[in-house]
This record gives sequence, C-alpha cells and structure tokens, in this order.
Amino acid sequence: MLARIGLSDAEKDRLLGELEAILEHIARLQQVDTSALAETAQVGDLVNVMRADVPEEPIGAAAALRNAPVSDGNYFVVGAIQGAELDG
Amino acid sequence: MTASTITQLAAALRDGSTTPRALLAGAIAHVDRTENDLNAYLAVTRELAEAQADAAAHTLEAHPETASPLCGIPMALKDVLCVNGVDTTAGSKILRGFKPPYTGTAVQRLFDAGAVCVGKTNCDEFAMGSSTENSAYGPVGNPWDIERVPGGSSGGSAATVAAGTVPFSLGTDTGGSIRQPAALTGVVGFKPTYGRVSRYGLIAFASSLDQIGPFTRTVEDCAMVYAAIAGHDPRDSTSDPRAVDDPLASLRAGVAGMRLGIPREYLGAGTEPGVRDAVEAAFRVLEGLGASLQEVSLPSTDVALSVYYIIAPAECSSNLARYDGVRFGVRVERPSLTEMYLQTRDAGFGNEVKRRVMLGTYALSSGYYDAYYRQAQKVRTLVSQEFDAVFKNVDAIVSPTSPSVAFPMGSRSDPLSMYMCDVVTLPANLAGTPGISVPCGFVDGLPVGLQVIAPRFEDSRVLRVAHAYEQATDFHAQLSPYATVAA
Repeated sequence: MLARIGLSDAEKDRLLGELEAILEHIARLQQVDTSALAETAQVGDLVNVMRADVPEEPIGAAAALRNAPVSDGNYFVVGAIQGAELDG
Repeated sequence: MTASTITQLAAALRDGSTTPRALLAGAIAHVDRTENDLNAYLAVTRELAEAQADAAAHTLEAHPETASPLCGIPMALKDVLCVNGVDTTAGSKILRGFKPPYTGTAVQRLFDAGAVCVGKTNCDEFAMGSSTENSAYGPVGNPWDIERVPGGSSGGSAATVAAGTVPFSLGTDTGGSIRQPAALTGVVGFKPTYGRVSRYGLIAFASSLDQIGPFTRTVEDCAMVYAAIAGHDPRDSTSDPRAVDDPLASLRAGVAGMRLGIPREYLGAGTEPGVRDAVEAAFRVLEGLGASLQEVSLPSTDVALSVYYIIAPAECSSNLARYDGVRFGVRVERPSLTEMYLQTRDAGFGNEVKRRVMLGTYALSSGYYDAYYRQAQKVRTLVSQEFDAVFKNVDAIVSPTSPSVAFPMGSRSDPLSMYMCDVVTLPANLAGTPGISVPCGFVDGLPVGLQVIAPRFEDSRVLRVAHAYEQATDFHAQLSPYATVAA
C-alpha cells in the first residue's frame, strides 16, 4: 500500500514470486562486512548547494496547470479528501 | 548523407554541398523508410526541426567560422529529456500527452549550438530496462537484426544512430543504459562523470546515478557532443562547478605508456565466448599501440549488482511518487482520492516500473531500511573504494561492455536474467566514474562493445583511449543493413 499501486490479485500473485526471487538474489549483500564503512548517498563532494538569492520569473499558473488532467481557474482539481480514508 | 558523421556533415555544410534543410529532409525520409521495422521514434518533431534548420542555415551563412560543429546537424533525444511544448512520455502510458513547460539544460545547449531535433526516441519506461522491451509504445528493433533487442534503456537513441538516420543522439545512463545499447548496436556510447552534465529537465529515475550522454558513430563526434553539453549548471544542485577540459585537445594523444587494467571479474563466467574473444583481441590492439595491460581485481563486482537493485529502485520509488494523476499525465477518475491514486498508478505504470517501485518502497520501509537501503549505501562505498584502489595502479580500465551480444526479443522475460545485462556497466554508475563503449568486433554479425572506464573527471582520458583503439580498427565503420537502405 505504501507504493500506492492498486494491483489486481493476479498481479499480486505474479509480483510476489518475482520480488521474492529478486530479494533472494540481493540477499548476498548481507554477507558483506560493512562495520567500517560509511554510507554513500551521493558520489559528489558538493554540500549545501544554494542558488543565488535572486528572484526569477516564475513559470506562471497557466503553464503549471497546462498538463493537469483536471483544473479549474488557478487550481488543480482532485476528489474530496474530507471524510475519505486518508491512509488508504 | 545517411550514416555520415558529424565531422563529415559539418564540412559538407560549410563547403556548400548540403544545407540543414536537406539534411533534415534526408533524416526524416530515412525515418519513414525504416520506422516500421525499428520503432525507434515516439515522435518526429518536424515543425521544431524545420525552424531549427532554418535558424542554423542563417547562422552558418552569417558566421561560418564561429558556428558550432553541431550547427545544422540532425539529432534525436531520448524521450526522458524535456523539450518545451513537445510531447515527452518517458516511454510510459502515465505521461501520455505530457508537454513540458520548459527545456532541459543539456538539450538547450544542443539547441543553442544549432543542432536540429528530428524527434524523441523510444526507451524502456522511465529508463528502467536493458532491452527497450519495457516501453509502453512497443519494442525497438536492432538495426543489425530486427528480431533482436537493441539493448536499453536508450534503445531508440542507439538504434537511430546505428540505422544511420542521425549522426548523434542523447541517451541517459543509470546502470548502463547508454553503454550497453551502444555495444549491442555497434555505435559509440558515452556516460560522462556523474555531475558533468546537468540533469535539469531529465525525468528522474535514480537521481544519484542518472547521467545524460551521447551516442555517435565515432569517438571524435562523441567528444564534440560531450563538450557541447558538459559543464556547470546552477539549476542542478549535483552539477559540478569544476571547469571542463577540452576533450578534443587530448583526443589524439594515444595510449603509448598508459597502464590499462582488466578486471578479472568483468570477464566472468557469464561472458559469452565470442564476446570474450573480441574483447581479448581488442586488448592486444591496445598493447600494440604501446599500452601496458595488467589484470586487476574489483572483488565487489558481483555484489554491486545487488547494491544497484536496491539503490536504483529506492530512488525510483521516491521519484515516481509524483505520478499521482494530479498535476500531469493521465488520471483514472475515482470518487475517493486514494482510490484515484491507486487506479491511476496501476493503469499508468508497466510491469517493470511496478516491480521497481514496490522493491524500492520495501527497501526503504521502516524495519527493512537498515538491512537493505543502509547496507546497500555502505557497500556502495566499498565499490567506490575498490575503483580508487585500482586507479592507483592503472590509468583506465578496459573490459567488455556487455556479457552478451544482442539477444532475441522475449528471451529474457525473467527480471533477474535481464538485470544481469548490467553487471559490468552499473559499477561505474555507483562510483560516478565516466565510461564509454566503442565497437570492437562482431559475433555472427552482431556487434560487440569494448568498455573503457577512468577515474571521476577523467572523461577526456576515456575518450582518448577509445579514440586510439577506434583509429587502429575499422569496426566502427561497418554499417548495419538499415544504414545502407537506398533512398
């Protein structure tokens, strides 16, 4: 449910087998001694990259909304959230 | 002009024997002749291209000496690269009809140089795959044998250069998605150092691994395209501010005296005998050119595959959360918002994308994070350290690009067997190093690629080694059957 993909039962069955096989293969990772290793989140040596604090022309509401499946004026339209299940 | 190089076309544009409009017309005619078999394009951008060709003609007439060598040259862009107002689908149903409101930096730099965009090329959905069979818009045929895959994920960009339609294209490489299809289609494919080419305007798959790079017919052309797209971009916070040295300046310096390492793990049991023979012959050519070759070891190569298939899916599960039917792409209407998300993503994503999103979500979830994602990040450090250690003793690494030649469509339906395609390319993504594939032979008429890897920011060295090898051989000059189809 975290992945937010509404799978059919048939899809779930197929994926279960495939993901099990993949997880079994990548389990060999657990055998590596990593007690002395730091984590690599990114290979670059850049930190805290900031852009210049200069205002730029924004993209604008019309351009930002152009690809929306449903929009109204300056808003994206989605179904009602209030009263609906939030955590699925 | 089919199957010409950038260098040849740039000269022809300047001596008046052709025009940007004529080159464009030739490229589109070749698309029309070959597309039924190849399916390399998701869109032909004729209007954009005609305007660009006319602008290029003007530039060439007004400033022939200072115009970029790419001015007036037709090219194609993998459909994960955003072009303002031009359909960009990433090979996915979920982005059908999406027209980006801006143009990415690498693409803009090509446009500024005067290159002419013929179209957007087919690819594995969100660049996830090694065969281009995961495109929602059908597979791409390999111009050497259309019953076989062109590799992936940038299969369309590789195939269109191999078919001689355009002299160059852009692809993206997250685990080998430029180098492997270049090898399987007999062209040059280059993944620059991570941070060299801006990712701004690239639809994200795995942001710590993704890198844009060129497909070309020759290494010299490759260096020219790389020089045009590389360099710092404030719009990508991982873009490196270091100055880019001119790759053409050292391109012809040769390999005499260079120390080249052959990782024994890269010629493992999975390597097809024909591939091994071709690559070993290439090693002897390099030796003949004055390089000294030695065996080296990258012991974590095997486990690097596991690292990749945790980190890439983890990053993809996060990056693809944005496809929720709200701001762009398709939506499956449902009364409840959650149901709308679930059904939109089920209908919009293909099987491989679903597998990776679920795998990544799992690896990042509370309770499994330490065992999978954190452990993978630590082993990623080990993979980088092993490269660093090897590069203390050698200047570059040479190996096969792919353990196999192009395989028949449908022959790798098991996800794990497909993942094995990337075993010798993905370590360079984990370590951020540059890597290239250059044609080095044939097995039963199917191309084989030689991979060259160098330390980070030694992109020019990679190009230099590849160029020296290429100039001593003629594999790059052999044309696929689709590049010799008469007009």
